[in-house]
Amino acid sequence: MAESEKDQFDDEEAEEDASLERRKKIFSKELRCMMYGFGDDRNPYTESVDILEDLVIEYITEMTKKAMEVGRPGRISVEDIIFLIRKDPKKYSRVKELLMMNEELRKARKAFDEIKYATTK
Amino acid sequence: MKLIQNCFRIVIVKMDSIKEGSVSPVSSFMAKDNLKSPSSEKGDQGDDVPELSFSGQSESESETPEKPHSTKKTGDSSQDPKSSPSKSSTDSPEKKRKLELTEEEQSAHKHKKERQEEERLKMQVLVSNFTEEQLNRYEMYRRAAFPKAAIRRLMQSITRSSVSQNVVIAMSGIAKVFVGEVVEEALDVIEHTGESGPIQPKHLREAVRRLRQKNNIPNTKTKKVLFNT
Repeated sequence: MAESEKDQFDDEEAEEDASLERRKKIFSKELRCMMYGFGDDRNPYTESVDILEDLVIEYITEMTKKAMEVGRPGRISVEDIIFLIRKDPKKYSRVKELLMMNEELRKARKAFDEIKYATTK
Repeated sequence: MKLIQNCFRIVIVKMDSIKEGSVSPVSSFMAKDNLKSPSSEKGDQGDDVPELSFSGQSESESETPEKPHSTKKTGDSSQDPKSSPSKSSTDSPEKKRKLELTEEEQSAHKHKKERQEEERLKMQVLVSNFTEEQLNRYEMYRRAAFPKAAIRRLMQSITRSSVSQNVVIAMSGIAKVFVGEVVEEALDVIEHTGESGPIQPKHLREAVRRLRQKNNIPNTKTKKVLFNT
């Protein structure tokens, strides 16, 4: 019976093998730390963590679906995400900062490797 | 006429701020100041036509920021007092505006770096004065992140094609900010109703309802029908 249910739904919802009633929680540990960091109690309620996990998965799903329609349809690129985020200053600046840091780290790593190669040679 | 000038000032400022990636009040104020002086200079021209042509050019100018300024500056300052024919008068304020944009951009850049440095110092001072509980919370705030592998798996199951690493990085960052918004809104709800203690599901639901109203949460499942039949 679980299999026929899975066939009826889209691929987007049947991402695990478990039945759809009790989806396995994939973000529980990290979400707890995150909630504490953002101001919640040190041990947040499990139900709250569950609700937040569902919210996050839904958010990611929605953004992915929207990003697939923007730009090149059927593919996702960073520009699509930035386009979707443009009205939200917090997220926009955070994404820009993350990508910039990533670039800097990559450059630093490359420079370090080059130095290492030059000195060992 | 003044309205048009103000509108174009705002457009130029906005394009600058979008390029820098963040709206910086200092640079926007500087833009307004720099743009004020030339417009007061050519206050004699009462037509709409020369101003419209100038503004059309200025939008394209702000897209090409890198321009050599030393040679143009000396040339323009000599031309300005003789600006009676319309062509030269529209050329020189454009060039002047080009310089002022690049100059103001450079000084805005410097200001931005200074401000970043200041902010880093302030953060250092602040963090050094944290209590132990605050330190714990701050550490959790900085360190907590969604596992990239899980996010990539989730996105790939939706798009059926592979996603690049940058996309995964961006998406995990956005998801964390999203969690922060919901949690902060829920804490607001708690404070509003005067309760205390850990966040309960009802607070989260109220927080999500509020955020949905402000359109902070995308929703493609239910479409609002504007005019029925």
